Amino acid sequence: MMASPISCGSRHSPDELPGDPSSQEDEDCDYEDRVSYSGSYSSASSDYDDVEPEWLDSVQKNGELFYLELSEDEEESLLPETPTVNHVRFSENEIIIEEDDYKEGKKYEPKLKRFTKILKTKSLLPKRYNKKNSNDNGPVSILKHQSNQKTGVVVQQRYKDVNIYVNPKKLTVTKAKEQLKLLEVLVGIIHQTKWSWKKSGKQGSGERLVVHGLLPGGSAMKSGQILIGDVLVAVNDVDVTSENIERVLSCIPGPMQVKLTFENAYAVKKETTQPRQKKAQSNTNDLVKLLWGEEVKGIQQNILNTPHIVMYLTLQLDSETSKEEQEILYHCPVSDASQKLKSVRGIFLTLCDMLENVTGTQVTSSSLLLNEKQIHVAYWKESDKLLLIGLPAEKVPLPQLRNMIGDVAQTLKFMYGSLDSAFCQVENVPRLDHFFNLFFQRALQPAKLHSGASPSAQQYDASSAVLLDGLPGVRWLMLPQEIKMDLDTALSDLEAADFAELSEDYYDMRRLYTILGSSLFYKGYLVCSHLPKDDLTDIAVYCRHYGLLPLAAERRIGQLVIWREVFPRHHLQPSTDSNTEVFQEPEGRYFLLIVGLKHYMLCVLLEAGGCASKAVGNPGPDCIYVDQVKTTLHQLEGIDCQINERLTSSPSPCLSCADWFLTGSHEKLDNLTTSPILSRLPGTSKVATSPTCRRILFGDYSLKTRKPSPSQSSGGSDNGCEGGEGVGLSPHTIPNAIWKQRESQGSDGPEKSGALLKVTKKKATLPNPFHLGNLKKDLSEKELEIYNTMKLTSGPENTLFHYVALETVQGIFITPTHEEVAQLSGSIHPQLIKNFHQCCLSIRAIFQQTLVEEKKKALNRGDHSGSTNSISSLNPVKEYGVLFECSPEKWTDQRKAPPVMAYWVVGRLFLHPKLQELYVCFHDSVTEIAIEMAFKLFFGLTL
Amino acid sequence: MGEEGTEGTVHLLCLAATSGVPLFCRSSRGGAPARQQLPFSVIGSLNGVHMFGQNLEVQLSSARTEDTTVVWKSFHDSITLIVLSSEEGTSELRLERLLQMVFGAMVLLVGLEELTNIRNVERLKKELRASYRLIDSFLGDSELIGDLTQCVDCVVPPEGSLLQEALSGFAEAAGTAFGSLVVSGRVVAATESWWRLGTPEAVLLPWLVGSLPPQAARDYPVYLPHGSPTVPHRLLTLTLLPGLELCLLCGPRPPLSQLDPQLLDRWWQPVLDPLRACVPLGPRALPAGFPLHMDILGLLLLHLELKRCLFTVEPSADQEPSPEHRRRLLRAFYTLVTASHFPPEPGSPEEKVEDAAQRSQVPRACYLVSGPEEPGTGWRLVALQSGPRRLLLLSAQSPTHALRGLATHTLHALTPLL
Repeated sequence: MMASPISCGSRHSPDELPGDPSSQEDEDCDYEDRVSYSGSYSSASSDYDDVEPEWLDSVQKNGELFYLELSEDEEESLLPETPTVNHVRFSENEIIIEEDDYKEGKKYEPKLKRFTKILKTKSLLPKRYNKKNSNDNGPVSILKHQSNQKTGVVVQQRYKDVNIYVNPKKLTVTKAKEQLKLLEVLVGIIHQTKWSWKKSGKQGSGERLVVHGLLPGGSAMKSGQILIGDVLVAVNDVDVTSENIERVLSCIPGPMQVKLTFENAYAVKKETTQPRQKKAQSNTNDLVKLLWGEEVKGIQQNILNTPHIVMYLTLQLDSETSKEEQEILYHCPVSDASQKLKSVRGIFLTLCDMLENVTGTQVTSSSLLLNEKQIHVAYWKESDKLLLIGLPAEKVPLPQLRNMIGDVAQTLKFMYGSLDSAFCQVENVPRLDHFFNLFFQRALQPAKLHSGASPSAQQYDASSAVLLDGLPGVRWLMLPQEIKMDLDTALSDLEAADFAELSEDYYDMRRLYTILGSSLFYKGYLVCSHLPKDDLTDIAVYCRHYGLLPLAAERRIGQLVIWREVFPRHHLQPSTDSNTEVFQEPEGRYFLLIVGLKHYMLCVLLEAGGCASKAVGNPGPDCIYVDQVKTTLHQLEGIDCQINERLTSSPSPCLSCADWFLTGSHEKLDNLTTSPILSRLPGTSKVATSPTCRRILFGDYSLKTRKPSPSQSSGGSDNGCEGGEGVGLSPHTIPNAIWKQRESQGSDGPEKSGALLKVTKKKATLPNPFHLGNLKKDLSEKELEIYNTMKLTSGPENTLFHYVALETVQGIFITPTHEEVAQLSGSIHPQLIKNFHQCCLSIRAIFQQTLVEEKKKALNRGDHSGSTNSISSLNPVKEYGVLFECSPEKWTDQRKAPPVMAYWVVGRLFLHPKLQELYVCFHDSVTEIAIEMAFKLFFGLTL
Repeated sequence: MGEEGTEGTVHLLCLAATSGVPLFCRSSRGGAPARQQLPFSVIGSLNGVHMFGQNLEVQLSSARTEDTTVVWKSFHDSITLIVLSSEEGTSELRLERLLQMVFGAMVLLVGLEELTNIRNVERLKKELRASYRLIDSFLGDSELIGDLTQCVDCVVPPEGSLLQEALSGFAEAAGTAFGSLVVSGRVVAATESWWRLGTPEAVLLPWLVGSLPPQAARDYPVYLPHGSPTVPHRLLTLTLLPGLELCLLCGPRPPLSQLDPQLLDRWWQPVLDPLRACVPLGPRALPAGFPLHMDILGLLLLHLELKRCLFTVEPSADQEPSPEHRRRLLRAFYTLVTASHFPPEPGSPEEKVEDAAQRSQVPRACYLVSGPEEPGTGWRLVALQSGPRRLLLLSAQSPTHALRGLATHTLHALTPLL
């Protein structure tokens, strides 16, 4: 009804928007046909059958789209904050602007666009740039009525336009019950008609629609721009009064943006340009706001006081035009604390230039002291430009910073093709501001990022981000075969693209895009991917950067549509093989489409050119593709709960909580550190005879404990179970003793390992004595499940605290889920996890050094056989372990020393057969062999 | 070593902070002093960036390229030291400590007064030449590790108490409280007061003695960087046996001539045999026949409170790798664990202070497996911290799970020694 009839009729002169190639004109009609089809194509599609999708309005000039809408219940949950925000609004103009427009805030820079719209006297200028096929401009043309007032609005400052989103579908329930007041129900504006009407006695043309109140949770309130006392004068440029308002509103066919024009209650004396600038700025914070919650103001103040900076400098200085700061192509943020760093950019430039000359290698980082604070600055040089990121050392350790700058460069290249095209185009500046705003929030306030999550998950996220954000991979959730197959099928169907509108013979023309691959995320976990590793990691860093993964994990997304042109390195790198037989990448263009629905997020990489038709100009998202992806997601909704179940009770190795090991173990461990091995046997029996400890440690296992004999280390036990028990009773036995014991049990050794092997392979279908000591808290409930879980550590009880396994060939890593970690609440466990990640970061830095050396060696081998004999370094490091001791922070008992618990953090690097990294954290009681654990963890870990 | 290019070179620059005049440049390559020097323009810009920052109240402390690390440090606003190292496995911790030692050496031989209050640059340059030898020994490969650990390299003599008695008696007779026996730069025995010397000089003095050409007796003026940076003392050395020197630190008295052969004979003749036993001890550090596990190829034991260390790579000397390689491995491992895990030694305030959250998680041990993928190859290094002692071991064969046991055993056996 809206989409089709307007089409070609309302076409406008092509010069309205620079950058929109008029060459497309011819094609446009074709596309329009298709759109009108997509309109009528309503079969499986969601809420917007006959109408333009609501995100259409948010598409930007360059075709990009970042549209995010939370689901209804999430919106509700955000509501309590709104009134306070509104409250401020009455008093101060400044804040009106800053806090403005909550609803719109969720979209990416809509304000800027809206203002362009206003300034270009929108009635004459529909948003040609939205999409090739959207000459029609849904909301504006709803009644094809042009109001003359509108041209004056901006100039007079008496009127203001507010775009709000209305959804008549929501009304269907209430409709039947009551005589609807659309203005109230739909828009959320309360206007007490009868009251004032009677009083004034006016009748003729109806009464002015004064806003008497705002319905809590209504669109009007959410928009934040509508104030009590404002007078609604027009809806989508149709003049309204109390008389015709209901009729006008009832014409709204579906969910859409509606422009309301108000006469200002308080004459706002602002320059037109001023709010525009400010809004553009505040808009950059919108996503930030959404992710970090409303405390963002305070946080930002905090952040502004920490010295941090990003700069993009050119090394080629034009000496003739010696302008101040001409070498700075981009810098952010503008704050006093960062000013200092900006002012010493000469240091960075000189270092970059000089050190490269002297050493022949590029400068990677430098450290400086600023106000007694150490700041690390990481360098990223490309051709003659230099990207710099400086962050305080206390927040970001150097290895992390190096990973971060690599990620930033990767993300920017993925988004813009090259750093130059990202930084050197003026129109990108607000986008980059937004980009780095997010970046610094993430770097400096990681804990605040996940305000919506439970405290434990929040803590986990914050402490793990140090390591995980730098890994070249995506967090992967292993799913059972049948679910995986469903997902695979669904994605394959989508990728095949042979459904009606996407098949080539449907329109008898080449398809617009080829789907190169897709990957599916659920609650931020990768559950299925059909993308090559490079593409996957590219997309992952993009999503990570924009905080999409945690967003999907914590909030149900109503609708998320992201569309942008991307430059995946995998497809764009020039082919090294000159052989024409070999597959050559087409010289195409690539687009990333991300559609989110509830907890799902589906990322699709599209290729234009090659076998699809070439892309011209800046195409916006194509409805058909978005629809199709969305349909796929709808299809998957059923599997939702199965995946969720998997998340809560993962088949991955079960974990123990550090606190369970703490009780009563202190005496032992004191011995352990100060005395030699031999004196430890008495200590062993001490622990074993303390009954409380045993009960806590072993749950129901204690039922069949036997009297521990001091001779246990002689290894007299004859079967695996009893032998295991012996060890179990003394969880802190020294490794040597255990080893001896194991060796003394040599006869049943093979059996044991054989059993373990089977356990791993078949996910333990046979009851295994070793699982009895499992430390799951609620044994009774999960008894069955325990047999299905895999235990990573050897020895009778589970001593595994945490793990991260990185599989770089596929670009994935696995680590315990939030749910698993949340089950293990304790006082020292969170600290342990934090320490684990920090330690792993430094271990990984060593491994990365090894990898660099290996690469160098491989290169040298190619050049000349005499490889450099590196005798001074430790490389190649393949395994690294650190033993930590910890004790509870608050220990009130003065007479006793606090109990101590010792645990290992071990990192292992595998170069062959494929590059893998494993980090595990386990209790000191059992000697673990990292290779064994790795085998168990990586087994069956395939996409 | 000896690759082409800049690999493995260390450049040390010393400049007057205010004027930017280079006072000296020392270089080493592949562990040996080298003549190759940085171009003057590079020296100028290295100093320039540091000065530029300082004027804007930004202190440039270090920079890294893919294979090189540069560290800047200025002392007393008067001397700027810059080190640029492309040795493999180099780290800031190592370079920072190197600069401290270098400045300590400069003070030791020239005095703080001269360095903070530069009146005549040319004269200072000449005076500093005396310290080249000592400074070069820090840059090159040394058998000692005190420059890195800031602990005094020691050896454990077989009959220590006899030597100790003789030394105390002799020092008393000579009229000073500071006396020590030094064998190739390592302290065999020392008087109580000698042990109480502050951080740089306690390491520097034996190091200095070890770096000087052999002489029967010396009377050497030294400033003590920590204890007496402006007033010189006299360092008297007497060679008792080839390689074994007796050091005394004293004021204007006694003159060297007073330490006549009779006095020496009286005190040292009776302990001649234990003294002889000390001479070959230098690189071994441990008395002959000390039971060490076969797997141990090198060890470093530190006592962080006493600030003494034992460092040896002699055990199983016939096996691979070479002693030089072993030393490098242990040095690199020490740097690694000290920089990333173990809390810094007490009394070195410049180390970064870890936050409280990490403090509750105390690292106790650490191991590293290096080498190719195949089992049974490569090296294993293990570090163990227990009380004030820290032990680092290099081993070739031990399986990883036995490393900690090995270290615990060894530490227990070594505990009475240090």
